Amino acid sequence: MSELLAVENLQKYFPVTRGMVFQKEVGQVKAVDGVNFTLEKGQTLGVVGESGCGKSTMARCIARLLEPTGGKIVFDGRDITHLNRNEMRPIRRDMMMVFQDPYASLNARKRVGSIVGEPLEVHGIGTEQDRKRRVQELLEIVGLNPEHFNRFPHEFSGGQRQRIGIARALVINPKLVICDEPVSALDVSVQAQILNLLKDLQQDFDLTYIFIAHDLNVVRHVSDRVMVMYLGAPVETGGKTELYTEPKHPYTGALLSAVPIADPTLGRARKQIVLEGDVPSPLNPPEACRFHPRCPRFVDGKCNVDPPELTPVAGNPEHEFACHFPLERWPMDEDEIRRRPALAGAAE
Amino acid sequence: MALLEVNDLQTRFRTDDGIVKAVSGVSFSLEKGETLGVVGESGSGKSVTFLTVMGLVDMRHAQVEGSVRFDGQEILGASSSSLQKIRGSRIGMIFQDPMTSLNPVKRIGWQLEEAVLLHNDVTHAEARRRSVEILQEVEIPRADARIDDYPHQFSGGMRQRVMIAMALINKPEVLIADEPTTALDVTTQAQILRLMRKLQDEHEMAIVMITHDLGVVAELANDVLVMYGGRVVEQAQVDHLFAKPEMPYTWGLLGSLPRLNVTSERLEQIPGQPPSLLHPPKGCSFNPRCAYVFDRCRQELPELAAGAVGDEHRFRCHLPDEERARIWEAKKAALAAEGSAA
Repeated sequence: MSELLAVENLQKYFPVTRGMVFQKEVGQVKAVDGVNFTLEKGQTLGVVGESGCGKSTMARCIARLLEPTGGKIVFDGRDITHLNRNEMRPIRRDMMMVFQDPYASLNARKRVGSIVGEPLEVHGIGTEQDRKRRVQELLEIVGLNPEHFNRFPHEFSGGQRQRIGIARALVINPKLVICDEPVSALDVSVQAQILNLLKDLQQDFDLTYIFIAHDLNVVRHVSDRVMVMYLGAPVETGGKTELYTEPKHPYTGALLSAVPIADPTLGRARKQIVLEGDVPSPLNPPEACRFHPRCPRFVDGKCNVDPPELTPVAGNPEHEFACHFPLERWPMDEDEIRRRPALAGAAE
Repeated sequence: MALLEVNDLQTRFRTDDGIVKAVSGVSFSLEKGETLGVVGESGSGKSVTFLTVMGLVDMRHAQVEGSVRFDGQEILGASSSSLQKIRGSRIGMIFQDPMTSLNPVKRIGWQLEEAVLLHNDVTHAEARRRSVEILQEVEIPRADARIDDYPHQFSGGMRQRVMIAMALINKPEVLIADEPTTALDVTTQAQILRLMRKLQDEHEMAIVMITHDLGVVAELANDVLVMYGGRVVEQAQVDHLFAKPEMPYTWGLLGSLPRLNVTSERLEQIPGQPPSLLHPPKGCSFNPRCAYVFDRCRQELPELAAGAVGDEHRFRCHLPDEERARIWEAKKAALAAEGSAA
């Protein structure tokens, strides 16, 4: 297997300005601040985090829909961080996006045929006849009727629209597909159809996915590796099995324990870690470890002074976490989580 | 006597294309301090059922039949002035989208005080005092300062807390919550669910939880209604429903759920789309998507009949009992095998 995408220390800061005419920069929103990962061909990287953690901004930087502030993006062996529009154009054929809202991401005034065929047209591939054939082929692959070629998006249900969005992303044979919350707006039964479809397509066409979602169940189901983000930076990355069965970062633990369990007996038996408050503003992120104001294991004088580095778990270099007081086992209840840091702090 | 009793509720909408049968023969009862979970896909009639109960459907286009008794009193078809006395004071409602349900140009405090002043003969100062108190109760930090903020100054989770505060400010006996956590992150969802449970314990409030998330239902509900195509297709205590669901649609819902402890490669999927309420299929409304369909299902609508455990667990299905038991055992074994492999 070969490496398709490598992201090094990716940063995206948005300026905050004041003044109507003469805009003065008064601050920066650090939406993405130091993301590193590599992605092998044919693999899926799942990205989870609360709203506002920068997961969508990261995806947009990788697709170069936004200009990164710093860092490096190497796609298919080529540094694409600072390519201009013209230089990016041939590369865009190889990376496509599927968006969250199937109602907003399809042009309501265009027919399905021209929506799905647009990437082909933009890149000037084939004759009109070829394109039509290719579009109909794709509609069939994603489970729609090729005769729907001339219909408008409003004639389809949410799940079918998402299939149209997927067909559009795949029509040009991309290498990388970035799925930004592709199933969040769908009902469970339709969600299962779309997830299965994405998996089948990955096998059939050797696709590589970046799969962004806030639903941990969904991410586990589709991913090979998972990255948990908090306020613009990853706090833990690992293979899906390790990350879900032996989380190290307290934030990962809190996320896992917050997922409702569809089984009343198991649900009552487990102890939840409920985080207080919201994600802080990325305009003034907390010092050092950004999770410290909400962390159940917060140790004063350590977590708010010394920023933790991503460090690998002993014996598993693939599983990394950024925490001074990682969870020593899982599952833990709230008391156990709180008890530990004082001891660990004293030992240091 | 049940606090809220709904009998054979029907809601039909007249449209240019014909009559939409949004709710067909829904019955249930809700006791004080209980939580009723209502699950179903979009278009299953779960929201319309409770809009009808509250008298919030537009009667110019809708045709409503049946009976809704609240605290012994018939409220279906009651005058809007008598309904207004109940809504917002004795029955509270939380809607899904907190951004569109709050008035963006009025301060939070104004919107909360309005609810108090409408139903109580109190001074503005008292209304404000109660508003601050309820904001504290839903755990909004610095409530006395934030009461003068506008909705856009709150985050999604905070706005949903304001919605809950507004629904609870007059200490209702019933709270109807329509997808209250769907738009929120899991962490915020956990906070809101914990808060609802706490408030329920304190006020002995009955809750109707409308959701498509079976996880939320399993965590919060005592009784569950599964709705499909405008009808209740399965009705049971929460433990019964998850231990031994009887209706193929419920099996499908449970199977299509990605779970943390299950790592199968493919999810079980329910093929096809939810039924049209304009032209519902003949017979059982689930028959076009059901894997176990046979001739009778296409002809005859199954009754909501009691199963082996008695009246507490009722469902609509023509399959013989032994066959259903056999299919469920097989499914359960498959799920358990995947779970232990994880």
